[in-house]
Amino acid sequence: MNLRLHIWRQKEPGAQGMLKTYDVADVSEHMSFLEMLDVLNERLLENGEDPVAFEHDCREGICGTCGIVINGRPHGPVPKTTVCQLHMRSFHDGDSITIEPWRASAFPVVKDLVVDRSAFDRIVQKGGFVSVNTGNAPDGNAIPVPKVNADLAMDAASCIGCGACVAACPNASAMLFTAAKIGHLHSLPQGQTEKGARVYNMVLAMDDEGFGACTNHLECEAACPKGISALFIAKMNAEFVINSLL
Amino acid sequence: MRRLIEVWRSTVFQKWVMAVTGVMLGGFLLAHLAGNLLIFVGANDMNAYAVELRELLHGSAIWVLRAALVIGLVLHVRAGIVLAQRNRKASGGRYAVTSYQRSTPASRTMLLSGLLILSYVAYHLAHFTFGAVHAEYYHYFDAMGRHDVYRMVVESFRQPVITILYVVAIIVTGFHLQHAIASAFQTIGINHPRYSPVIRMSGTLLSILIVIGFISVPMAIIFGFVQ
Repeated sequence: MNLRLHIWRQKEPGAQGMLKTYDVADVSEHMSFLEMLDVLNERLLENGEDPVAFEHDCREGICGTCGIVINGRPHGPVPKTTVCQLHMRSFHDGDSITIEPWRASAFPVVKDLVVDRSAFDRIVQKGGFVSVNTGNAPDGNAIPVPKVNADLAMDAASCIGCGACVAACPNASAMLFTAAKIGHLHSLPQGQTEKGARVYNMVLAMDDEGFGACTNHLECEAACPKGISALFIAKMNAEFVINSLL
Repeated sequence: MRRLIEVWRSTVFQKWVMAVTGVMLGGFLLAHLAGNLLIFVGANDMNAYAVELRELLHGSAIWVLRAALVIGLVLHVRAGIVLAQRNRKASGGRYAVTSYQRSTPASRTMLLSGLLILSYVAYHLAHFTFGAVHAEYYHYFDAMGRHDVYRMVVESFRQPVITILYVVAIIVTGFHLQHAIASAFQTIGINHPRYSPVIRMSGTLLSILIVIGFISVPMAIIFGFVQ
């Protein structure tokens, strides 16, 4: 198939960027979206041009490194799929595709489609852990965890920190990410001891990074490649007020 | 103290302020609607209700309610503006192409619909509460010497400009509520896979009922059901 791509090109942080148009011919429908960009980059290199910078690592949909906005949707049109697992069969011959980086003040563009997501790391550093020495892996079922809670923890823990929630949110809010990191630990017995400090510190860290506030559009839920529910945001809202004021 | 200030300034707490004051204002709206519907009972009951409202607990009740409403309104509008400014700054330059999946026109225009409602409320109070505009309808008294609220409403709504502005404002309010009701539940932490779809549907239904309830009054007057 032949495609016309409109790709955001930006030389460096703070530089003026613009959408540039590229035609890519003979794209196989079996290629992943990133492989299609690889083909474009090979050609750009052959012509002595600067290749399009984009992030990727595992290309298995589990690491959270890749992430670009395709025709207005983070990770593209297929639900619960990272862009590395998005295949060109989801597109049609002659399609025009607009490719942009995550847009949020807290995620400044580094180059082209690469953004700096270290704001997420700083939020996790404020409480996305359990600070006890755990020693060896405990025996299975040594600490009883109700099945419902184990499932909740697993759902939240499936967050790969890709930032699609922020990219999708009209307010560039990081509440789904922060709520998933909090909800994961708060669903388990090990997370209870530091509950109050965790929710307080992580919410404040999230605000300090300059993310927006949630207005319950639920775009994050729709964009999340792991299908994490806004249920965790509701839980975080309740826990924040209960633990910060009482 | 520092902690309280930090909590107050946080986005999550301001969302709570938004939700709790929103519920207060919504409760007022329902009470207001109940009062309005007295027009279908008759002039005597409506005028008696107006007098009772002003004289309840020796006239103190209405001032307590008004104070609560003004505080709620100020906090609600303030939170809305503060959060919207923050969100605008956070989202920075947005996309060349947008493709929304779950958000609705109502959810994306809450600030606009809210400010439209606010400006209508100012005009509405000037009209029916203070008699500062359309004063010709304000100074009616019934046979018992009471302020003739019934006649003020009926005569006012016979004016097309007043009715059109009113209907538009009510529809904008319904639009605002459609997102607001479900949103308030989510903000205060009520979200359950089984009940949230029901809450969202009920929120929309309640918004529609409120719109129909308020608009029924001028419609009944225009079509002559209420004389």
